[in-house]
Amino acid sequence: MRYIGNDNIIGRFIFHSILIVSLLLGMFGMVYLRSGIVELEYHIGDLEKTKMDYLKERKMLLAEKTNLVSFERLEAFLSRSKELSLPDRVKVAHLTKNKQEKYLSHNVSMERKQLTEP
Amino acid sequence: MNKRRAIILNTAIVFSFCLIFLRLADLMIFNHGRLSERAKQQHIKVEDVQARRGIIFDRRGRELALNIELESLYCDPESLNLDRESLIKLSSAISKESKVILSKIPEQGRFAWIERKIDPEIVKKVKELDIKGMGFINEAKRFYPKREIASHVLGCVGIDNQALEGIELQYDSHLKTSGGKVFLGRDANGNTLSSGEDTEAQGNNVVLTIDEGLQYIIEKEIDKAMSKWKATGMSVIMMDPFTGEILALANSPSYNPNNPGRTSNSDRRNRAITDCYEPGSTFKIVIGVAALEEMIVKPNALFDVSKGYINVGGKVIHDDHKHKSLTFREIIQRSSNVGIITVGMKLGEEKIFKYAKLLGFGDKTGIDLPGEISGWIPSPEKWSGTSIGAISIGYEVAVTPLQILRAYSTIANGGYLVNPYVVSEIISPEGQIVASFRNSGKKRIISTRTAEAFKNILKSVAEEGGTGINASIKGNGVAGKTGTTRIIDPKTNMYSREKFISSFVGFVPADNPNLAMIVVIHEPKGASYGGMVAAPVFRDIAEQALSYLKIPREDYPLKNYLLVSR
Repeated sequence: MRYIGNDNIIGRFIFHSILIVSLLLGMFGMVYLRSGIVELEYHIGDLEKTKMDYLKERKMLLAEKTNLVSFERLEAFLSRSKELSLPDRVKVAHLTKNKQEKYLSHNVSMERKQLTEP
Repeated sequence: MNKRRAIILNTAIVFSFCLIFLRLADLMIFNHGRLSERAKQQHIKVEDVQARRGIIFDRRGRELALNIELESLYCDPESLNLDRESLIKLSSAISKESKVILSKIPEQGRFAWIERKIDPEIVKKVKELDIKGMGFINEAKRFYPKREIASHVLGCVGIDNQALEGIELQYDSHLKTSGGKVFLGRDANGNTLSSGEDTEAQGNNVVLTIDEGLQYIIEKEIDKAMSKWKATGMSVIMMDPFTGEILALANSPSYNPNNPGRTSNSDRRNRAITDCYEPGSTFKIVIGVAALEEMIVKPNALFDVSKGYINVGGKVIHDDHKHKSLTFREIIQRSSNVGIITVGMKLGEEKIFKYAKLLGFGDKTGIDLPGEISGWIPSPEKWSGTSIGAISIGYEVAVTPLQILRAYSTIANGGYLVNPYVVSEIISPEGQIVASFRNSGKKRIISTRTAEAFKNILKSVAEEGGTGINASIKGNGVAGKTGTTRIIDPKTNMYSREKFISSFVGFVPADNPNLAMIVVIHEPKGASYGGMVAAPVFRDIAEQALSYLKIPREDYPLKNYLLVSR
């Protein structure tokens, strides 16, 4: 015949209660977290939709801007008041720095070409 | 009694648990595959990643081809509820006849397109109709914001964004992307949950060597010349003679790549590389270069051309204007047929053929555009008795404008044959350089001495007494050559006396060339000579191009300016 003390019974009761409460809390916590994740996914989904709408609008605006700054459009717009004028070549002088940090003139303006100093 | 009840209760509980266990085993073990597949179908939505073509930029980063998002109208024939009134309204909104709309709706099936890539304003009108069984899907449309500008270089795409022409076709593998699939969660109401993955992918961007400003200048001048000379067609190419970069390329007739279906295949052809012609006097570069390189003549060697004609294999070839004695320089300057044939006969068939091939005739230039042809130059064994005369003056050979331009670039750059190209770089959407085509290679084919000597002769063409005086520009020397060719009349199979091809090819500034350019005008009305028709177009384009590139005039010495650094 085993003797079970009162202290041991109380301890086991508390232990089991805590275990059950923890289990329930854990389960509710998981449900809560899962619903939070789903809610967040909805929110991100909405934000992504908004982002796609803005990107779509951005693409349209970029296309419109590109069209507006085309040479044809610019000239058509400017010709109402004045001609689209290209630079006067008489007034063009190209400068480049040499090793002594001095500016020297050169006559070539194309990119990536060997510059010729006078 | 209580014990009996307890037994019954226990048995019922155990039996119930057994039933639950069996059902669970059925769901989780025996039907697991089928049920999990069904669950996936209900909760996971597979969507195509929307593939967008890469952007095409000009050399200064201006967009020439990009994508816009438009909506396409579809219907689900099984759930469609389209009454007569709605059909009439829909027909009016999308500007399509009712019977055309009805013909697009099949009797069976769950999907059919009604109208693709619709204008946003029209979409708004259709949405207001709220027709059951009809909906919209977002689609990317290729958009060319500069419309006709560089259309023959850019090319175009079809309704499903499939490449059809130009750079779009040549670099299709870089511009397009496969896209792939993305898995999205959804709830019972069909709302989509984010997976955090991108639902859009873009192909690589392409950077051209074309400059939109220069392209605009040549297209504007082409329109003016086409209208002035009532020509049937025109091609202009502008190239950096040192690198082979194509700075501008345009043809007429042209087309708007936003609506390729509305133009004929003929208008979409890039004539500058797909059509060949007999070049006439611009081909005299072959004889000139060969004679100088082989030291058969010196620029000041005198030739008697006073008869004004020459008999070659029984065929008499005339000069357009009579001359007395001409130096070799003057033969080119005044484009004397008799003089150049005399020099050609001194050279002989083999050498003419050798130098024609060296200058790139009869072979593709290798430009990175689709449809280039190689032209044609017969090998000497196929020459007839008259061929040496005809070929010396640019007949009996077929060339493309680009081949002629490349040959003249050899003179501009001191003797190198360059490889023309239109794409300089391919860049990933993140900005990484995927491929670079700069400095595509060049090969020395003639000596610097010959190139320099022939350049001086070409300079005299655009000076007083030369056939190309109309190409001269204030402040900078021009070197070039005129060309006038009769076209074969298909009715008579003879060279026409009324139909010509006029051309001018050259480079500027002559002593320090920045641009090489060719102008070819087909069947101008009212005048025929290259010097009268094509040379002024060359001048007008070159003057604007030099201003655009801010290339200083050479007749204003820099020493007269005070240069101040800030």
